[in-house]
Amino acid sequence: MPVVTLYLDRLEKLVGKNKNKIIGALPFLGLDIEEQNTEYIRVEYSPNRADYATDAGISAGLQGLLGVKTGLEKIVLKKEKSFVIKTTSLVKKIRPAVCGLVARGGRLGDEGVRQLIALQEDLHFGIGRRRKKASIGIHDLDTVTFPLTYSAVQKSHKFVPLTGTQEMTVQEILGTPVGGQYGNLVGDMVPVIFDAKGNTISLPPIINSSLTAISTHTTNLLVEVTGTERTATGDTLAVVAATLQNMGFALFNLRSDPGANISKTKTMKLEPALVNQILGVSLTNSQICNSLRKCRLGAAVSGTKIVCTIPRFRFDILGSMDLIEEVVLGYGIEKLLPTLPQSTSVGQKNEITKKLDNIEQIMVGLGFTEALNSSLGSMQTLYHNPKRDSSGVIEVTESKSQEHTILRDSILPELLENLSGNIHEQYPQKLFETGVVFSEKLEESNLLACVSAHRDASFTEAKSTLQSVLKTFACIECATKTSEHPIFARGKSADILIGGKKVGIIGQIDPRVIENFKIRVPVCGFELALFI
Amino acid sequence: MSQILHPIEKTIIRLLRTTSNLTEVQISEMTNLSIDQTRRGIEWLRLKNLAVVSESEESFVTLGKNGLAASQEGLPERRLAKLITAGPMDLEALRKKLGDDTNIAIAIARKSNWIEIQKTESGSIVSQRNFPDRTNEEELISLLAKGKLRLDQIPDTSAFESLNRRPDFIVVQTTKSKTISLTSQAKSIDTEKDYGGAINVEAQAPPVFAAKTHPLKDVINEIREVFVSLGFTEIIGNLAQPAFWNFDALFTPQDHPAREMQDTFYLKEKTAQKFASPSQIGKVSDMHKKGWKYKWSADAAKRMVLRTHTTCVTIKYLADNMPEDARIFSLGRVFRNEKVSYKHLVEFHQVEGIVVGKNVSLRNLMGIQTEFYKKMGLDRIKFWPTFFPYTEPSLQTMVYNKRLDRWVELFGMGIFRPEVTRPFGITRPVLAWGGGIERIAMLKYGLDDVRQFYNNDLGWLRSVPKCP
Repeated sequence: MPVVTLYLDRLEKLVGKNKNKIIGALPFLGLDIEEQNTEYIRVEYSPNRADYATDAGISAGLQGLLGVKTGLEKIVLKKEKSFVIKTTSLVKKIRPAVCGLVARGGRLGDEGVRQLIALQEDLHFGIGRRRKKASIGIHDLDTVTFPLTYSAVQKSHKFVPLTGTQEMTVQEILGTPVGGQYGNLVGDMVPVIFDAKGNTISLPPIINSSLTAISTHTTNLLVEVTGTERTATGDTLAVVAATLQNMGFALFNLRSDPGANISKTKTMKLEPALVNQILGVSLTNSQICNSLRKCRLGAAVSGTKIVCTIPRFRFDILGSMDLIEEVVLGYGIEKLLPTLPQSTSVGQKNEITKKLDNIEQIMVGLGFTEALNSSLGSMQTLYHNPKRDSSGVIEVTESKSQEHTILRDSILPELLENLSGNIHEQYPQKLFETGVVFSEKLEESNLLACVSAHRDASFTEAKSTLQSVLKTFACIECATKTSEHPIFARGKSADILIGGKKVGIIGQIDPRVIENFKIRVPVCGFELALFI
Repeated sequence: MSQILHPIEKTIIRLLRTTSNLTEVQISEMTNLSIDQTRRGIEWLRLKNLAVVSESEESFVTLGKNGLAASQEGLPERRLAKLITAGPMDLEALRKKLGDDTNIAIAIARKSNWIEIQKTESGSIVSQRNFPDRTNEEELISLLAKGKLRLDQIPDTSAFESLNRRPDFIVVQTTKSKTISLTSQAKSIDTEKDYGGAINVEAQAPPVFAAKTHPLKDVINEIREVFVSLGFTEIIGNLAQPAFWNFDALFTPQDHPAREMQDTFYLKEKTAQKFASPSQIGKVSDMHKKGWKYKWSADAAKRMVLRTHTTCVTIKYLADNMPEDARIFSLGRVFRNEKVSYKHLVEFHQVEGIVVGKNVSLRNLMGIQTEFYKKMGLDRIKFWPTFFPYTEPSLQTMVYNKRLDRWVELFGMGIFRPEVTRPFGITRPVLAWGGGIERIAMLKYGLDDVRQFYNNDLGWLRSVPKCP
């Protein structure tokens, strides 16, 4: 989850309430406090509230909860004829959606620039789906001349990219780290935005031009959002608009085709009865309306229903249940008293769980301590060290941990690995584990595996244990039939048969396997499928 | 009080009754006990409050390098005196005989008024005045030549001080030593009494270790019992699941970042053939098209993943059984493709409970949570809002932890979104909550590193008590 740093003195000014009130209210906006000191506070916000990526957005939320400013947070877009971006047919097939705005008369400062960039990144990652559905370009308005043109160019096109000093071709830019990261989003023709003088100002969704770079002193901004999908670009622009407005900028529409009507609100009707049923409360209509207003939504009673007005940037609100959550946030969770629901139901454990519990008790009774290993293991532990055949191995994709790359089909090797890590501990060492293993066809079954390690560990000891487990667990007699398994020593290796059917293997661990695991005492053990 | 004594203890007591304040070495030398037996015996006696061990410092004086030379050849001033008894000698001639010691010999002999020096044109002439046969320093040197002396045994402290001022004549070594003496209780004990085969029942015995279930499994079982006691029935499901039940059925869009390989373990070349009924697939697909406005792909839903939560088991149960009223829970391993660290594992345990009913509400959900935590022994809890993709409204429980002195985030909860339940024909509210079990277990065992549960370190497994 993304994290935002909030400087308390800035926040105090933005919200108009003191620090302690603010800190106390933050968790009730759904923000988790990660770190806190006298100067700043770091909070984690959920990706569905991208408007909380900046302190400007959070302060609007806080103002609502603390009652400084409630009701609909309206986006006001002024009009100015000259702010136009034209779209050519070249780009319509490859990245058709474009919209934008002009923001004037604000002050960014260091903190403003930093937060704006963080917001941009979060939007790119979340709703923008790594810039595919939507990507944002923010420019210094005073460096561009209208009208702008949204078009497409070939990879031989040249301009000076952001943070660069000399002209590069698109082809060269795609070879840079940033270019490489998003190069897969463009084909032979690459989207581009020119201004009226023919200057390249942006190469969406890869990079802006150095010409229009913003700084901490920039007061007038041009924002363009391009993408594959109109809803996503509009929603993205709406969040940027709300943020800039909260930062003190005056917003102007940038006319485009298809464009996005980001100041338009959505209305939804909410049943007060549903609110009370879901929350388990009996709020009056006016209490519900006030709660919604505290969450910066518009709310008014209309007949038996409540009509809610929702700004465009609150695209996380899909229906009544989302509005009910807003009601509970505005009303105050701390005012809801927990109460147990009526019930006559009788609970019970799963049958398999009960059986596993029994097996575990028996093993402990036999002097074995329970181990706990991962279902994901490594080739080394599961196959190379115990000399097992690895032909049917099931791999996971792109694991970040080298020790967790394949699904286990056996538990014995993991127990040997455990013995290997405990050679300095007192012997005898007896370990067992019950758990799920996977077949080549991805069938899952529960196994019991155990090992006993000490100077006199022998096949006979393993078989005594096996007999005792099966008899105590389910009154079952078993047979062991000579069978070679590379993990066991020759002549001390067998299959476990129940009613003539093979259910596991038993034996004394082969000295070379013992050596591979760097164990220094003899080990015996078995592994057995349960419930088959 | 009767005491059962080991023969070693008896031997030591008898010796100390005759000679008190002995060192370990002395006791070992004066009995036929080895030094190890002696040490052990002393330790036993000390623990029984029969012997007192007191530490003391002792300083010994021995001859240094120059002192040893002087004990054989005489002090430099004595050698000078001997040379001139026959008659005055020229300084240069003396220098040839005395070498490096000349200056010190002249200085001391002159100061003690043993000699006279006359300056002539050809040099200095040294002649005898009067000197004693033997000095106190010489007495001390010959005494020390016989063996070292304790500092307090030195008879003549002024001779010691004057020798100590001269370089490397004597060496003082300080050693710390332990001496052992009996307590008054030991003095009256009967060391001759025979207890006839009695052993020392009060001594420490060698350790043995109880075999036991895994500490994390104990917490899992405790949680399971709490759920059952609250009227919940356990359901189980596979660890490997089609993406359909892990994601699509929970309204997670197919292009959602959580579904990417860097967060989720996909199984290479594994797809599910029949993963849901055609109507279930159709309705989920419609909901995605409507809600997310994209082309839903059955191929993406078919891919096999290691479940990222137990919710896939819950939602499949709801979809297949469409219960009007239910209290069920699911508990087991879940997987995340993360870098392993003190707070993250690739595989951990999760529990999740749901309640379906006509009149169940968010307050009920909070009520069940409160009851659950109370049964787990956690009674300072509060609720904060949060976000989960498939519940609305969503809350999280914060539990106060004394050791950490802060509020810790535990289970999350919420009511399933209609976008999740409606495609499966479920119209009543579904309350759901759950979370990671390792987190609770860490609080219980006071651990700061979650990996401890999976290290299978016998030292820890054998030592961790069942009553943390």
